Amino acid sequence: MKSVCQDFSAPVVWLYFLYNRFTQVPEIIQINPGFLTLDAPKPAISENTSRWDYHAIGMRKILKALTFFTFLILIAGSGSVLAQTDKGDLALAEEVRKANKECESCHTEDALVELPRDDLDLARLKDLLVDPHKYKGSNHGHMMCSECHGDGYSAYPHDKKAPESLAACDECHASKVLKVEPQFDISIHANIVTDAFSCSSCHDPHIALIAKKFTDVRMVVAQDNHMCLHCHDSDLVFAQYAPPDNEKSGLKKVRPNLISIHKWLPNAALHWENVRCVDCHTPFSKKLSHEIVGKDKAERNCIACHSKNSELATRLYRQMGLEQEKKYGFDNSAILANSYVIGATRHPLLDGIVLIMTIVTLGGVLAHGAFRLIAAFSRRRKSK
Amino acid sequence: MSKNQRMYLVPFWVRVWHGINAVLILVLTVTGISLHFADPGRMLVEFSLAARIHDIAGVLLVAAYTFFVLANIVTGNWSQYVPATPNVFARCMAQAKYYAVGIFRGETHPHKTTAEARYNPLAAVTYWAVMYLLMPVVLVSGLVFMFPQFAPDRIFGMDGLLPIAMLHYLSGAVVVMFMIAHIYLGTMGKRFSSLYRMMINGWYEH
Repeated sequence: MKSVCQDFSAPVVWLYFLYNRFTQVPEIIQINPGFLTLDAPKPAISENTSRWDYHAIGMRKILKALTFFTFLILIAGSGSVLAQTDKGDLALAEEVRKANKECESCHTEDALVELPRDDLDLARLKDLLVDPHKYKGSNHGHMMCSECHGDGYSAYPHDKKAPESLAACDECHASKVLKVEPQFDISIHANIVTDAFSCSSCHDPHIALIAKKFTDVRMVVAQDNHMCLHCHDSDLVFAQYAPPDNEKSGLKKVRPNLISIHKWLPNAALHWENVRCVDCHTPFSKKLSHEIVGKDKAERNCIACHSKNSELATRLYRQMGLEQEKKYGFDNSAILANSYVIGATRHPLLDGIVLIMTIVTLGGVLAHGAFRLIAAFSRRRKSK
Repeated sequence: MSKNQRMYLVPFWVRVWHGINAVLILVLTVTGISLHFADPGRMLVEFSLAARIHDIAGVLLVAAYTFFVLANIVTGNWSQYVPATPNVFARCMAQAKYYAVGIFRGETHPHKTTAEARYNPLAAVTYWAVMYLLMPVVLVSGLVFMFPQFAPDRIFGMDGLLPIAMLHYLSGAVVVMFMIAHIYLGTMGKRFSSLYRMMINGWYEH
């Protein structure tokens, strides 16, 4: 193979070599060289057979050469198409950048430092700001603002009907929405919050990055818990979605204090830094889902996570590779890379050694005691 | 048993400390096992309860230990844990030989208990090692475990709490093994119950 590589140094020769490797005509067909020349009559078994064969072989060579050149042209063609796509991507990226810059000229905090124009409605604008750095790093970061926000924004003041053109999530994420909807429909959010609640109430499309893209679990935790805390740690935002607590008075449900309702949970602050709210606030009987449950149904069984078959492995850590499993002999070592979780990140060999040593100690003193008793009885019997 | 066969040996504060220490270590053992070996279906104490009890008992043990060290310095009781010379090693071996062979033959105890030397040399050395080497490891690792912000952030590509947790678990296991042996060796007095009674009323029977 080495000599072949050295001989076939020119790319065209290489391609020809590859082409031959994969287009070799099976022997059974090669028996009849006239097979490829469709219009050639089948060679009769006569004295002229060799002449027909001679023509057929010649035709076959021509056909093969033609096919090879077609193959070459195809390769070159597709290469140039790919190169054009690259160029196209660059042009598209430039277009996205340019278009989004237009929006960023007002809808960012930086824009507020030096207002691009005097007639801006600042009261409304303050709730419509996007962090361009976060946006560019998000899942949607490569998209034009107008892909979701539609038309009507090119001039200022924007068209009054422009907000109506906002794209629904399922226009792109149809299958995801189909899967999530039944889970969401039985969640506490579907049952008690107001209709204003939607996908983007939690998943801010200008920020969100899917968990798979993170290499550090703590960043997944930070992002996902921010979704919850955005409302549950703010009286102002909570009130936007809160249902009336008492139908007669019409007063809204008051935001429960997170610290006091999690008093039962030892080391609550430590948990909040290292696991997601949804890791407990979704039913453990099912896979992690959009069925967010309230305090009455949330998981309170510590050993669901703090045990050998830790639920964490199929929840928070499901994106973290299983190749880390059993590193240094630890159970759930993928979890151990971030957190020592008592009960879950155990070392079976070490536990076995400790257990045996304890049993030997206990057995040793019991045996010693038994021998003492026997010896004492036998001495007493002898002295009698 | 007549009065002259008894000797007041163990001061009141040592007995109180010993009792508190014993209860706390038993509680920490049971809750510690519940936490480390947590498993559905075989829990000694419910997990979150065990976590809370272990924390409280751990802090109390730190307090009890601090009291023990300070009181030892103030009262001079520390000298009981330093075996009297000469021939410490030879006398330790004699004590070990007594436990291994002599006791079954009904030989007399090689150590003569006095107010100055309460413990046989082997016991004194063991108590010293447990109280001044092992206990600091258990307690300090336990405190870091309780305040993990003091643990290293990462070690060998794993959570920095791992070595602390391992140290706490293993040193805790050694304490449990010591406790088993210690409780058993408590039957080595004049009668099976003599030394247990001594740790309650302070009187040594001989």
